[in-house]
Amino acid sequence: MVAPAPMRHEPGKDVGKDDGDGDFKSELLALIPFLRAFARSLTGNQEGADDLAQETLVKAWQSRATFIPGTNLKAWLFTILRNQFYSDRRRAWRQAPWDQDAAERIPGGGEDQIFSAQLSDTARALRCLSDEQREALILVGAGGFSYEDAAAICKCAVGTVKSRVARARKALMEILDGDDTLEGVARPAEGDAAREIMAQLDRLTPTTESGDPGGKRRPK
Amino acid sequence: MQWDTTVSNEEKPNEKTRAIRARQRAIGRELRRMYDDVAQEPVPDDFLDLLRRIDDAEDARTGKKVS
Repeated sequence: MVAPAPMRHEPGKDVGKDDGDGDFKSELLALIPFLRAFARSLTGNQEGADDLAQETLVKAWQSRATFIPGTNLKAWLFTILRNQFYSDRRRAWRQAPWDQDAAERIPGGGEDQIFSAQLSDTARALRCLSDEQREALILVGAGGFSYEDAAAICKCAVGTVKSRVARARKALMEILDGDDTLEGVARPAEGDAAREIMAQLDRLTPTTESGDPGGKRRPK
Repeated sequence: MQWDTTVSNEEKPNEKTRAIRARQRAIGRELRRMYDDVAQEPVPDDFLDLLRRIDDAEDARTGKKVS
């Protein structure tokens, strides 16, 4: 290291234990709007989203030593936010799995019912998607992430992100242009069990489209 | 633009494909607008307070005096 990077914070103002921390903090500050936007799309409500974004900032600051300078800080922060979102929700789910009051406090679950009246049709339709499809679509379709970065954030293969985005787009259009599907938005909180069932349905779907109901003659 | 979702299978696939793509683009714009609307909101004060508190906590932990 020949020369330290120029300091971006105000000279004479002690913002951290060294110059790197000051830079890191100003970069965090600049990315807060995007953390809030991603959090809002995951939770579907403002209060929960801002709590989540703040938890993310604290976690990011505590883990700043593990961030590799020069890599994508925004993707790194989004990964932390996403992990935090699912771990908060798992905890809420474990504490009272069959308690309806608790289920309604689970972000992305029953809480949406309260807020859905204020949301646009697209926002409500987004709540109907599975978590996997919703996050992939938001990252790529709204957040401007590459499929590669989105795959790293969601801890899955690039091809998986591509198919999730494609299926999310198709599902969103069907929901928005269908007649009565939006009535189903206020469905019960999506728990792990429900998501597992949906995942199984996803896996089963392609085989039911083969147009071979008897399953006896399968042309090669 | 009008697009009838009950379009029959006999109609030209090209026309239907074009309509679907146009609809997808419109939905895409709406998604970006929703995301950008939040990203363009002013950052609430609690976030700035939080970053300041992080500093204080760090100073306390590393033994620096907190003003």
